Amino acid sequence: MLTSLYVEGQSWFHRVPVRLKLIALLSLSLALFATNAPFLLLPAFLLCGGLYLSLGMTPRQALSRVGFVLLTILVLAAVNLFLVPLPQVAALVLRLTALVLFAAAVTATTTIGAFMDEITILLRPLERLGLLRAADVSLALGLVLRFVPDIFERYQAISEAHRARGLPIRPLTIIGPLIILTLKDADTIAAAIDARGFRRQ
Amino acid sequence: MNTRDLVLIALFAAIVVVLGLIPPITLGFIPVPITAQSMGVMLAGCIIGAKRGALAFLLFILLVAIGLPVLSGGRGGLAVFAGPSGGFILGWAVAAFVTGIVAERFVNQGNSEGRQFVGFFLASVVGGIVVLYAIGVPWLSAVTGTPLAAAATGSLVFIPGDLLKAAIATLAARAVYAGYPLLPARA
Repeated sequence: MLTSLYVEGQSWFHRVPVRLKLIALLSLSLALFATNAPFLLLPAFLLCGGLYLSLGMTPRQALSRVGFVLLTILVLAAVNLFLVPLPQVAALVLRLTALVLFAAAVTATTTIGAFMDEITILLRPLERLGLLRAADVSLALGLVLRFVPDIFERYQAISEAHRARGLPIRPLTIIGPLIILTLKDADTIAAAIDARGFRRQ
Repeated sequence: MNTRDLVLIALFAAIVVVLGLIPPITLGFIPVPITAQSMGVMLAGCIIGAKRGALAFLLFILLVAIGLPVLSGGRGGLAVFAGPSGGFILGWAVAAFVTGIVAERFVNQGNSEGRQFVGFFLASVVGGIVVLYAIGVPWLSAVTGTPLAAAATGSLVFIPGDLLKAAIATLAARAVYAGYPLLPARA
């Protein structure tokens, strides 16, 4: 049900370490927002687009991942045509599209495991301050992945119950029972975690 | 933080993921379809409180960032943060926190039912609409270069839908509060 947006592949960008990719994404966004010059933004756009399309996705796959974000960019650009001068609108479209494509490329070439390793390292300063524990973050993430299918099944069971009684399926009548039934499990799950000593308390 | 709070945070993040899988409802008199997921912020603050609600959304944002398609419509990945509405997604954590603060302040077990409804509605509107737009709209304006006034006027289209969401979240939160109260037990 929850399949990651990672794409299997052997491209050179797959082999770049995550940290480098994230630093590149951050520097790229800072750099692109610092400039308005089309002769810098256009090559950036072409390079990011080329990179994104070279990752081994079919064009349809590639478009469906970023289509919605690109659509919002175009809608806002259309609005901007009436409000700001044309060269600025062009710069905005090129800049944002380049960034979105580069970010999508990072997502497509990085596994969840690699991201989590990096996040554990990023959380280390907070851990030293005693604010949280990186192991807790991983545990919480694992719990989400574990329980989403269960909760979705519960949602379907509640919809079925609506249908069986001839009631319209409305969010209002579904959300309440769904949340109560789900959160009531919290005590059992917490007890199971503590019984296994996962958090070493 | 005890294990129960950790589990509540994770379960709520999982509920928000599932809310994204529910097909959006379209209403004749509102131009934009309503996704159940966007009610999550109001629900999180009203049901599990400020601290746990905000942490549930930080966890959810983490899921988006590491490339899980958990946003409604199967979207996800770092691209959504680079897009114009990235501020709204990052703002969810703050919005859930403020919703929780207001709900914790105004809703008590001893209140009459009507007062609880008012408290939850106030919390949903202040946190889930006012705070969220106060972060999302300037962000959008800064990223796209759209003048702030125009961006703010444009987002008024979404306000009727948001008020309806606040109403639904209020009823759902009050139902949960009556059936399985979690709000007073602060994290």
